[in-house]
Amino acid sequence: MIKTTLWIFGGILLGLIIHLTLILSLPQIVPNNVWSIFAKIGAPGELITIAKPKQQEANILRLDPELAYAVCRFDLSIGPGIINGKLPNDFWSVGVFDKNGVAIYSTTNRSGGGSSLDIGIFNPAQTRLLAEQKIELESGILIVKVPRDEVFIVIRLAVPHPAMWQRYKETLEKLHCSHVGQNQ
Amino acid sequence: MNKFTPNFLAFIFTALFVGLGLSYYSLADGRFIGAYHIGSWATWANAGAPNPDPYTKAFVSLGTTLQLGRSEGVQFVAQRDEGGELLLRECNYSIIGNAPPASFWTLRALAPDGHSITPLNATQSMNSKRLSRSNNGVATINIGSKLSPQNWLEIEGEGYFEVNLTLYDASVLSGFGGTINTMPIIKNKGCS
Repeated sequence: MIKTTLWIFGGILLGLIIHLTLILSLPQIVPNNVWSIFAKIGAPGELITIAKPKQQEANILRLDPELAYAVCRFDLSIGPGIINGKLPNDFWSVGVFDKNGVAIYSTTNRSGGGSSLDIGIFNPAQTRLLAEQKIELESGILIVKVPRDEVFIVIRLAVPHPAMWQRYKETLEKLHCSHVGQNQ
Repeated sequence: MNKFTPNFLAFIFTALFVGLGLSYYSLADGRFIGAYHIGSWATWANAGAPNPDPYTKAFVSLGTTLQLGRSEGVQFVAQRDEGGELLLRECNYSIIGNAPPASFWTLRALAPDGHSITPLNATQSMNSKRLSRSNNGVATINIGSKLSPQNWLEIEGEGYFEVNLTLYDASVLSGFGGTINTMPIIKNKGCS
């Protein structure tokens, strides 16, 4: 009986090790689904607007139908990423995510910037070059340092009325997204 | 030898049961670690943080949900009413009370797989800027298939559903020591 209890106790310990190993390794072994979806629909440095989720249909990304979305994926090994343009005065936000879907940086138009969006995404090496003034940028750009090369940026724009959806989607389509030095 | 085999099987079974069961249970809705609960509502408070805890990181990796960065807002999910019963499409509910401070918020009724359960051509969601409110400023949102006064989010079908409340530009849980004292309550008003 004591022997069986010891075996079960050993099983519990091994179970805890399996649990911790699984939790810690999941982000590495499971390819992030959000990243995979964006990788299929757009190249790095290409701006994509996402269609409004339809009723009774799958909403894989669980998008909010009250907001219009634009996404730009960057591979910083090509060069620093830049996204800029004008947006309405209604609420909008910007989120920078790594390949695992973890938010590295986020901000909203309420934190300053008003209707202007002007963000540069840099990896650590590019940030050093920027400090040494070896990369030329226009003044006023918000610099975001990210630890990895593969990131995506999401712009959310609140649509005040359903009738304005198309106009706001077109506003998002006019945003400019590219790598520094990439042919435009 | 005869004694060794059952003991070894018990060892393996216990290890798999504990290891896989604990992982599923903790990632399903963060019951152990990771999720923040208040009343019927739950949120993965660190889902939008730059350095999430390992449970939140695993949860984010597994799903296809486009997360909100911490400065952008926070999303709460309710799968049960105030009595602890699972939300059913056959029932009518009232969501009563004010949401925590935010620039604006939206509220949606979704099937467990994330698709909207509102009828075609009906409104898909409620928006804090397009609500009727009582004299004291409180908005009541009615969810169900039965026509209801004030703010009515019509749903259809059968089975379980969840309510998503997304607060945009919210100060709660934004890393400045913000806490949530109250969330709207979900009252069951009867089932068909």
